[in-house]
Amino acid sequence: MKKTVIFFLSLVLCIGLFTVSKAMAEQNPTICAVHPFTGRFAFAGIHGADAMEDAVAMANEEGGVNGKKIEYYWADGEYKNDVGIAAFKRLYAQHKPHCMFGQSTGMTKALAPEIKDRYKVLYSAYTFAEIAATPEKNPNMFIAGPKYSEMFGVLLKYIAKEKPGANIAFFYSDTEFGREPIPVGRELCKKMGLNLVAEEIAKVGGVDITTQILDMKRKKVDYCIFHGFVVTPIQNVIKQSKDYGLNCKFMGTFWSTEKHLLDQLKGLANEYMGVTNYSYYYQDEYPMIKKIREWTKKKHPKFAEYRSQAYMMNFLTMQIFIECLRRADKSGAINGDSLVKALESIKNFDVGGLMLPVTISKNHSIPVGRVMKGNPKTMKFDPVSDWISLD
Amino acid sequence: MRCGDFKETYIKDEEIFQSLFVKFWLGLFFIFLLVFPFIANAYMLYVANMIGFAIIAAVGLNLLTGFTGQISLGHAAFVGVGAYTSAILVTRLGFSFWLSIPCAGLVAALAGMIIGIPSLRVKGLYLCIATLAAQFIFEFIFIHWESMTNGITGINIPCPGIGGFEFVTEKSFYWITLFFVVLGVGYARNLIRSRMGRAFVAIRDRDLSAEIIGINLFRYKLSAFAISSFYAGVAGALWVTFLKVVTPDHFPFILSIHYLAMIIVGGLGSILGSIFGAIFMTLVPEILNYLSEIVKMSAPGYEEIFVPMKEVIFGVLIVLFLVFEPRGLAELWNRIKNFFRLWPFSY
Repeated sequence: MKKTVIFFLSLVLCIGLFTVSKAMAEQNPTICAVHPFTGRFAFAGIHGADAMEDAVAMANEEGGVNGKKIEYYWADGEYKNDVGIAAFKRLYAQHKPHCMFGQSTGMTKALAPEIKDRYKVLYSAYTFAEIAATPEKNPNMFIAGPKYSEMFGVLLKYIAKEKPGANIAFFYSDTEFGREPIPVGRELCKKMGLNLVAEEIAKVGGVDITTQILDMKRKKVDYCIFHGFVVTPIQNVIKQSKDYGLNCKFMGTFWSTEKHLLDQLKGLANEYMGVTNYSYYYQDEYPMIKKIREWTKKKHPKFAEYRSQAYMMNFLTMQIFIECLRRADKSGAINGDSLVKALESIKNFDVGGLMLPVTISKNHSIPVGRVMKGNPKTMKFDPVSDWISLD
Repeated sequence: MRCGDFKETYIKDEEIFQSLFVKFWLGLFFIFLLVFPFIANAYMLYVANMIGFAIIAAVGLNLLTGFTGQISLGHAAFVGVGAYTSAILVTRLGFSFWLSIPCAGLVAALAGMIIGIPSLRVKGLYLCIATLAAQFIFEFIFIHWESMTNGITGINIPCPGIGGFEFVTEKSFYWITLFFVVLGVGYARNLIRSRMGRAFVAIRDRDLSAEIIGINLFRYKLSAFAISSFYAGVAGALWVTFLKVVTPDHFPFILSIHYLAMIIVGGLGSILGSIFGAIFMTLVPEILNYLSEIVKMSAPGYEEIFVPMKEVIFGVLIVLFLVFEPRGLAELWNRIKNFFRLWPFSY
């Protein structure tokens, strides 16, 4: 009996000492992410999850954060708000990360008050929505690219240069994602002297788009800008516009300026132009793309042929996270405030051609984009503009 | 030695706590609920809160569908009505959170009564479609009545508080959730023992016969819709206050299906079933998420296969429960309970 008591007391003591020593040991720089690995945004989540893992592995090979190993953990959020928030809380409770990456605009909105007041982690997400780029309200958030409204700005700036006073149509989905940049887009049209003559709304994946095409034809639209869709109905609008005699140029924002749309358009690929924030996987003239390609060939041979723009987005976000951790660590302590200070100090940060050298704007975004055009022969996007910066 | 569960009076049959055994275990469970926030981490408390909201909404739906037999595919819309009502009252009219909760329930109840009007003429699949329409109508209102709901941007909701204390954390909010769960479940459990509860069951079993024996179908069907929506409204108000934000994305059609699945898996026409269903439908995906993370770590590179499998496993679990116990988890619980209670004469 006495022996048993001593055994249990020793066991409790050991566990206690282990827990205390673990808690007392300095925590490594930690990054957590919630990816839409399943669900309707999985097309981005699968590549995005790999991107972050790869970026951390590469950084750790190069010495991590000033010699400290970066720890990275992720969970699947299924592109559902409740699942994503639960995953965030689970990851936070388990790992107490310094930086977090969310899966959507909805999740970002839901967590914004708590990130500001409670968690104080440096936060970004699979979003280019305004909420993540309003430092006066959400100082810990940033987006590794332009806001959706800034993407509209890049496209409208391109149009204003190519055809001043052109007739514009906004073609967007009736979703939070689709509607977000429209009010700013209207203002920008006025400011740039462009005529916004039509606003067409369609369902994501909707097939009946005849009414919208005829309306655009009647209003003599010169440029139609899609937003809030990934593929359908963009390819249907472009294909059917030929049948109805609508002659206009079609453009889109980040999520649709992707290989999967060109695969649907096939011979009509050159009818689509879009704004992108990052270099493409096939633009291997840039050193970082070259590095990613070699890494992918070695570690993920299944994706050696192509990595989506979601990969590039998350890879770049991770570069920014790691740079902030390095700067914050050098300043003395890694915490919410030092990370935000580090973020705001990023100027002309070289990312090896993944995009222009990064400068975080006062809005916590990177308002830079490039207009690309589909090439039906190569089924790739070719640049038709240089990088366009919005001030 | 007991060989059966026999009651000699109706009063005995209608008792909430039917034996000392039930009282003991329920007391123990309640003590656990009180101790839980002191031993759980923030994530566990988050899940506990989510289970609480699901229980309130599921109990409401079970009163309508399980007890009264009126199928509703618009329950998420009523949750949304309550959520928006509370958010608007708190942020625009300066109501306190505590006052906004009953108001949210009342407005949702009113909405439920309006949507419930077709139930007087149609039933079964036709009523399903009528309530489905409500789901889409309210979704449209949440998005397009921008002056009130702030459209897709949604409304940020401040933390509730009493005096100087604010219920910011999962732990502090847990007490609010627990209070409303106990209140909601207690009321529902009593309601089904009352005249109204028996009228609900009579309508479910055969509405024509119920009318013949003097049950006012108009009154009781609309009451069922009102009470069910009241529960949904309260659940919605608590949920969005906990999240501190409400957007139209919170109340998709699939959420209505989710609530329906909760009461079917838990057990139609059973308050305990609603609780089991809500726990099952909230907790099992979380457990599967946790397991998939373990698999992900132990078999790196295979996450593309394993992580999506949790959806399949969840689906298979639901199907298995329905095949092997169509009366839900509540019946399974009863069988387990009877096995021990009647041992060694259980069969």
